[in-house]
Amino acid sequence: MSGQKTTAGGCLGFLRVLELDGGGFLGGVLVTNQIGRPLEFQCTTPVKPNRTQVILYGPTLAPFVYSELIGKTLFGRLDIKPQLIIVDQDALLDLRLHVPAQVARLANTKDDVSELPDELKLQCGRHHLSFHSDFPQDRDDAAGLLAALPGDADLREPLERVTEALKETLRTNAVA
Amino acid sequence: MSKLADALDWDVAIDAYGTHLSVPDVAATGANGALKRAPRIDAQSVPLFGPPRFVPSWKPFWAKLKTAGLKFPEGIELAPVTAPREEQQAVRPIAPAKPPAGNGEPARKSTRVRPPADALSLEDRLFYLLQPPLESWLRGQELIMPFEPFPYQYEGIAWLFAQKAALLADEMGLGKTMQTITALRLLLRAGQVRRVLLVCPKPLIPNWQREFKMWAEELPVTTVDGDGPRRRLLWQIPGAQVLLANYELVVRDFQEMLKEESALSGQGSGKDLNIDGLGRVLRRVKTPASETGRSTLNDQPPPFLETQASPQSPVASPLSPAPSSLPRFDLVVLDEAQRIKNRDSLTSTVVRGIPRKRSLCLTGTPIENRPEEMASLFEFMGVIPPRSAPDIRQLTRLSQEYVLRRTKNLVMTDLPPRFDRDEIIELSPAQKLAYEQAEKDGVIQLNDMGESITVQHIFELVLRLKQITNFDPLTGESSKLDRLQADMEEIAACGGKAILFSQWTKTIDWLAARLTDVNPLIYHGGIPTAKREPILKRFKEDDKAHLLLMSYGTGAVGLNLQFAGYVFLYDRWWNPAVEDQAINRAHRIGQKTQVIVSKFICKDTIEEKIDKVLKEKRDLFARVLGEGDSTNESLSMNASEIFGLFDLKARTKKGGSKSIGPKPATGQEAA
Repeated sequence: MSGQKTTAGGCLGFLRVLELDGGGFLGGVLVTNQIGRPLEFQCTTPVKPNRTQVILYGPTLAPFVYSELIGKTLFGRLDIKPQLIIVDQDALLDLRLHVPAQVARLANTKDDVSELPDELKLQCGRHHLSFHSDFPQDRDDAAGLLAALPGDADLREPLERVTEALKETLRTNAVA
Repeated sequence: MSKLADALDWDVAIDAYGTHLSVPDVAATGANGALKRAPRIDAQSVPLFGPPRFVPSWKPFWAKLKTAGLKFPEGIELAPVTAPREEQQAVRPIAPAKPPAGNGEPARKSTRVRPPADALSLEDRLFYLLQPPLESWLRGQELIMPFEPFPYQYEGIAWLFAQKAALLADEMGLGKTMQTITALRLLLRAGQVRRVLLVCPKPLIPNWQREFKMWAEELPVTTVDGDGPRRRLLWQIPGAQVLLANYELVVRDFQEMLKEESALSGQGSGKDLNIDGLGRVLRRVKTPASETGRSTLNDQPPPFLETQASPQSPVASPLSPAPSSLPRFDLVVLDEAQRIKNRDSLTSTVVRGIPRKRSLCLTGTPIENRPEEMASLFEFMGVIPPRSAPDIRQLTRLSQEYVLRRTKNLVMTDLPPRFDRDEIIELSPAQKLAYEQAEKDGVIQLNDMGESITVQHIFELVLRLKQITNFDPLTGESSKLDRLQADMEEIAACGGKAILFSQWTKTIDWLAARLTDVNPLIYHGGIPTAKREPILKRFKEDDKAHLLLMSYGTGAVGLNLQFAGYVFLYDRWWNPAVEDQAINRAHRIGQKTQVIVSKFICKDTIEEKIDKVLKEKRDLFARVLGEGDSTNESLSMNASEIFGLFDLKARTKKGGSKSIGPKPATGQEAA
């Protein structure tokens, strides 16, 4: 593996954070090419906020842990920097504030994005995406990138792979 | 503070309930009065000298997160197929993924690559887990496929992708070729292999070429053929990703290269065998032959070779590289891998020496006669130490991990049925006369031989009698031919096609001369390889060609003849597995109609006895390939069974007779 960090044209990142039973968090990001083939995977070790952090961060804890602590760290570790990061957790949308890549959140249904202005939502195949309100330009940039994907591309499936991989790391650690 | 509060509570309790302190019974000393008084409690002010000392001093701090990563190897970029294919209109691409459940349709099943059991490191396991589902992977490659793979084929491809040692033993006709080619394609694209050798029987070379063209048109396949210098060039050519070669040629060329290697290194012949193709070190036990350096690859293979690997370790780790001048491969695929069922054969020995990282065996019949045959395949795959002899239980355990076998009954519920019917035929009068005379003479001759009789002598008689049941060589009468002509008239009238198998090329040629009405085509070992493919093409495309006459040896394996709805077994092979292979040329994926299999058996002849033995063998076969049978019972048609075909009695000196049977521990093997 070369240590040189590159920005691969047209590659996508898929980021997901798992909440563990004991209150910890574990994150992973998978970078794929446009046809879903994996290029790079990075994951964190589990992180668990202490009681003081839980109290003092209050409702901002989740966005902080998801985006700034886990998401930003993972993005920084990637050798292949994706242009677009797909997430399906609300708390990860703030990652956009910390990384120079577009972040799009997959909505579960069309209704989830119906309230958003047009410049913050995008339909890609059967998927509906929303973007950070501070970066309206992201929508158009992402649209250009997503246009190169196969029409029936399943954007949610790579996130399931991330989940499987994170569970595997937990299993392996448990065995070790 | 808490002590103070406790004290206050106590005081209140005394006042509220008028409790009186008890007066102890003590002597009047004047000091006891203090005990009767309630305690006096006063508060005192404490001056503050500054701000409270407890100041929360906290800054956000999070320990630096540790991460772990995995970068995937770059795959081989293959040039897209640019030339438009004529048949492209007719092919059907893989259907796009169905939307998730919720719109009334069930979600499309996705097939994931699972890490193999022997992948222990997290990195290895993640590599497989993070691969996309096969359906979307293949769709993403815009793979044009004549048929969308069946779900079990997707499973097979995913399994092949993950296994470094594998035996794909699907029943004939379930698409082992397609699964293998697709797995190769994905392995190449994922950068898991870069150089592949596929070894197959010579008649199947055109078949593999055709299948590669169909399933992976963009893959450059190089067939190793031609004269020696050309082949040498092809073996060493660096850019060749898939090399296709037949067994005989592989044995010849690698033998030659090994000898050259030995000569160059000056280590003497036989030294090359110290390392097998997986890099496992073999230990040569000193024998007179080895000391004199007389043993070579041409010798009977080496019972004196032992491995340094521990017998307990299922896979010996690669200890040192194989000889340097030999071509190296990331993957070696053996089609019809039963070719190496005899681990002591020259083919097995040479094939095991091919330097490789992965090993894949393909066969519909991993066991033809004895379960021990699988040990040879496992040795090639590197899952047992060289020369080890696993018992049935160990073989069963290894099979669960390294063998994938599916049967049509299990997976192809929509494959048209196959109907087997035994055609019991009376011999014609001339045949009957010839048969009885030959049998009588033969048995007398055998009886006269007494104890010196061998299995070969019995075979000679059996073959003579079987030939007479095919046709009487003197008169040319044949009741089988009469039945065949009648059946073929009917088949030809409705535009059907049939395949006929016989043991003898002479019978095939004889039949061809007498079945001209149905335009028979001949396909057996006597036909030059270059002419075979056009024959199959004509049989498929010529509406007037209704019958293909084939020998078991040449036509039983690897051919796709699913457009034929009828199979005739004109005479019977010794092994039910070979018969099944022959039948499955027609009864395989793509078959649109039922397949009717007619097995010709002449009444009151040796064929009836053989049929009985074959049926018993077939039952045994199912037990071993199925589950639970751990008996070490030989499945071959053993010497006793062969002797049992005739009631042989040797005359004793006293004028009596005694039964003749095989001598004990002669080691006579099956047909």
